[in-house]
Amino acid sequence: MITGKIFNIQRYSIDDGPGIRTTVFLKGCPLRCKWCSNPESQNAWPEIVHRDSFCHRCGTCITACPEKAIVLGDKGIEIDRHLCTNCGRCAEVCPYNALEMVGQEMLVDDVLSEVRRDAEYYRVSGGGVTASGGEPLSQADFVAELFARCGEEGIHTCLDTSGYASPGAFKKVLAYTNIVFFDIKHTDPERHEEMTKHQNGVILDNLQIVVKSGVDVIIRIPVLSGLNSTVEEMADTAKLIRDSGLNKVHLLPYHKYGVGKYEMLDREYPLEDLVPPAPEELEAIVRMMNKYSLDCEVRI
Amino acid sequence: MITHEQIEAVKKLRVLTERLQNLKEKWEKAQPTVCVEPSQLFTKAWQEAEGDPIDVRWAKAYALRLEEQPIAIRDGELVVGSFTSQPKGVYVIAALAPYRVLDMLGKFQIERRLSATSTATIDERDAELLREDAQYWVDYMPPDYIGKALREELGEDHFELMQDRALVFEGPFLKAERQSAFQDMLSAWTGSPHPRVNVINTGLKRIQELAEAEMEDIMDKGVRLSHKSSDAYRKYVFLKAMVLTCKALITFAERHAELARKIAEKETDSSRREELLQIAECCEWVPANPPRNFREALQSLRFMHMALRMEQPGRPENAMGRVDLILYPYYIRDLQEGKITRQEAAELLGCFWLKTAEIETLETIAEWFAPGALLPNCTICGRDKDGKDVSNEISLLVLEVLRQLKIAEPGVYIRYHDGMNPEFIRYALECNRDYGGGNPAFVNDGLGTDRFLDRGVAMEDAVDWCTSGCLGYHADCADHEFGVAHLNLTKIFELTLHNGIDPKTGRQLGLQTGDPATFTALEELYDAFFKQLDYFTEKLRADYFIRRSIDLEHSPQSALVGILHFEDAIRTGLLPQRGGSKYPALFSMEWVGDRGVTDVSDSLAAIKQLVFDEKQVTMAELIEALNADWDGREELRQKCLQAPKYGNDDDYADSIFVHVWNKTQEILQKRPDPFTGLKPFTFKGAAAGHIIHGRAVGATPNGRMAYTPINDGATSPMPGMDVNGPTANINSANKVSVRELRGATHNMKLSKQVLNTAEKLDKAAVLIKTFMAGGGWHLQFNIVSSEELVEARQQPEKHRNLIVRVGGYSAYFVDLPLQLQDEIIARTMHGMA
Repeated sequence: MITGKIFNIQRYSIDDGPGIRTTVFLKGCPLRCKWCSNPESQNAWPEIVHRDSFCHRCGTCITACPEKAIVLGDKGIEIDRHLCTNCGRCAEVCPYNALEMVGQEMLVDDVLSEVRRDAEYYRVSGGGVTASGGEPLSQADFVAELFARCGEEGIHTCLDTSGYASPGAFKKVLAYTNIVFFDIKHTDPERHEEMTKHQNGVILDNLQIVVKSGVDVIIRIPVLSGLNSTVEEMADTAKLIRDSGLNKVHLLPYHKYGVGKYEMLDREYPLEDLVPPAPEELEAIVRMMNKYSLDCEVRI
Repeated sequence: MITHEQIEAVKKLRVLTERLQNLKEKWEKAQPTVCVEPSQLFTKAWQEAEGDPIDVRWAKAYALRLEEQPIAIRDGELVVGSFTSQPKGVYVIAALAPYRVLDMLGKFQIERRLSATSTATIDERDAELLREDAQYWVDYMPPDYIGKALREELGEDHFELMQDRALVFEGPFLKAERQSAFQDMLSAWTGSPHPRVNVINTGLKRIQELAEAEMEDIMDKGVRLSHKSSDAYRKYVFLKAMVLTCKALITFAERHAELARKIAEKETDSSRREELLQIAECCEWVPANPPRNFREALQSLRFMHMALRMEQPGRPENAMGRVDLILYPYYIRDLQEGKITRQEAAELLGCFWLKTAEIETLETIAEWFAPGALLPNCTICGRDKDGKDVSNEISLLVLEVLRQLKIAEPGVYIRYHDGMNPEFIRYALECNRDYGGGNPAFVNDGLGTDRFLDRGVAMEDAVDWCTSGCLGYHADCADHEFGVAHLNLTKIFELTLHNGIDPKTGRQLGLQTGDPATFTALEELYDAFFKQLDYFTEKLRADYFIRRSIDLEHSPQSALVGILHFEDAIRTGLLPQRGGSKYPALFSMEWVGDRGVTDVSDSLAAIKQLVFDEKQVTMAELIEALNADWDGREELRQKCLQAPKYGNDDDYADSIFVHVWNKTQEILQKRPDPFTGLKPFTFKGAAAGHIIHGRAVGATPNGRMAYTPINDGATSPMPGMDVNGPTANINSANKVSVRELRGATHNMKLSKQVLNTAEKLDKAAVLIKTFMAGGGWHLQFNIVSSEELVEARQQPEKHRNLIVRVGGYSAYFVDLPLQLQDEIIARTMHGMA
């Protein structure tokens, strides 16, 4: 049986597609976006996170760690990520749930039985399931299977993708997808690389595959002041969208909700100084998008 | 059906006019002040009426207050009717709670605080007068018929179960120590009436005439019944009390009219003078006569609503009834004839709304009841007997007043059904979000009506119901009594774990159902618990049978309640609860309620997992840890906390919840009501009873610490433990039936963020729709951000206006006990990133 690496299944998701949805978050992403608010989604393997507010400094984990990777510092426990093998022993023994293993292998059946629980809400609200991540297409076989099974049960499917995946992966999944949320972060290859560690050629090629497939598409643009939000940058993005024959755009203003997760993973937050875009900035972008006959809204 | 245009028009109204802003500010700044006059007048009238039949005596003790207690008209107000001369008067009747009054006055001397949650002031001289008054009642104390009978029939040990002892039973009247100079259940047995449409429309003069005609008839025709029976004369006496009360209520309104004219004489501002004269004219006409316009209807409703609160300040609930149905005909006629604008109506309704907040009682300031709340529930919308939606423009105005005025009470309850305009639901949720607390809430229109149909009520009567308390309901045709007795399931579970012995005192309170350390399967524990529950249910039923029987023998019938049910009262001479209604058997009271089903089921889930399934700990070890309040066993407590919990749509915990729920219902309902022979409905209410319940219960296996609150509400999960979001929360709740319940609450916390667009509001509406379709009764979204609450807890002075509703009622957050504040903060923040 095919399994997927899942790090969260979130019910009553109301920002990830039409209606009330259950979002399945798949672990692993080829991009390394500096503003990523789900850093725990990036690595494909399960990882230990620690939540300091829950920690009682009891030291149980320190004794239990076979690699001696945990020490008690001034600010609570610290995990030496070079020594840590993510074996999960510490999370097993932690009495306070302060240590947690993020990411688990799940069968399609198991995910589906969780998704099915809200079938009534999907029916009433026109919702369904959304595959997000990470990059869900990194696990295309799993997502294709999940979506196919959902389709059989009349559950609407939404793919939330960075666009960075093989064309084959896209084709596999698109066959069972009702709507695609497709990210465009920047039109310029170099700038894109600075922002995400990868150029955008693959993404732009895949966009054409998606368009040709005839599946509904909504373009999602993260709005990052100073990185991709100048009038020129957004105009280029708007042109690209219009020229691709698409017209629905969602702006996702940058937010800092992810900061805490970096601490939990013992990682540096790469964008200390970035601030969320001002409402006027967003309004200006919407107006500009409208000029290109694009139907654009800010999702907050 | 409400239209888009109507919603848009109402949204544009400015409820908070300068006038209302001023009134609200003054009210906010006012210090609760204890007023002594009503109490003194009660005592005086009662003394003077010695020798009168008890119904008349009670009516006179009410009437004298209406005739003589100080009244006031505040600057700028348009709707009048004052409980006391103070903007926030504490309305006390010492006779009804003399010991508490003395206790309260004792505390005044020390710190001038009424309780941990509220403070009030009292003038030195008034304090002395009130003390004298209370002392009179302590000295006078009539025989304790109920206490004696209970001792005689059930034994001294029975008192150990009471609220002020082991707290197996909880209820305002279930105390071992005597509370009142009247039979303890007086306020409960008069029901929880509300102003009915027909009373406002008929007017008190006509009601008085009808009563007088009937009296004449009885006098003229003499003994119509068997000559051995005194029924006819008793009826005569009750009608006399009704006539007396009608007159006093009319006088009360006329006194306001007189005062308005007097102030008008000296008023230099001509427009205010005009207003005062209008007020005078209004109070001269209603509630004596049928209202002629919207303003008079509102004023009449005001008088009738406050009449109830004044008659018995301790009455636990004081619903306003179906305000939109009462007011709409007057409103729409005025609007169509150009006599009033929407804006004027909104301001008038705002004035009316603020007036309901002018009173405090001993109960509101008592931590253990419903802190800060008087529960003047306002019910709107619903369907008529033909299934037609009856929501109207007043429903909208009520919501807009709620949104803009932002005061803790009244709570608004929308009778929800699928035939409503979705735009109206969106608007209601928008008001809910902007109001900032859990107001308005939604109740299931179909279920409410079905419950009456189930009991043989005709459709036309079954649809006519409103909400009361937190959160029950009553029919216009019969209202209902207040549930006075709750079984503390969590305590009973604790007793079960100790073989019937109370670990707090070492006394054997329950049955010997075996030492759980010897149990080899969970079923044995279930059996032991249900046996104990059955045992205590029987005790409670015997208590109820004796208590109510004696109460019916020795308590007056309230003539005011008779007026509210005048058609039936004049016909039968009886209140609905004594059989004076079209549906005498309907009056099966919920003599039994319960709290703590979630604590018990979550505890059982933890025991199932840790003791029986995974064998991580033995039962003996667990009980020892509980007895030590987890001291040195924090790790075990954490395991218990992390065990599966109800409210996550997880079958492991939910199946246990369902079993405990169903079996508890079965046990509580298997004994017929001793007065009607009917299967009793049960009550799983909210308010703050769970805080008191917790005070008697040591640590429990769900990870709860000793003497901390147990869980509130009926189907609400343990705070902070429902981590799978609102849909999971609702799915869990809908696994049990609340159909045969007299009251239940379901609270859920949502952050503002999940309601910040029209699209998201519509998604939240789906939650309501699904909850109701699954048979849910009451759904309340408490909308607030956790940061806001944490900050409010630390800096209460900066968050005076923060309103939170807990279990079916609203209160100012900073007025809540700290424990309750913590609990609200802990409640899972659904939808937070």
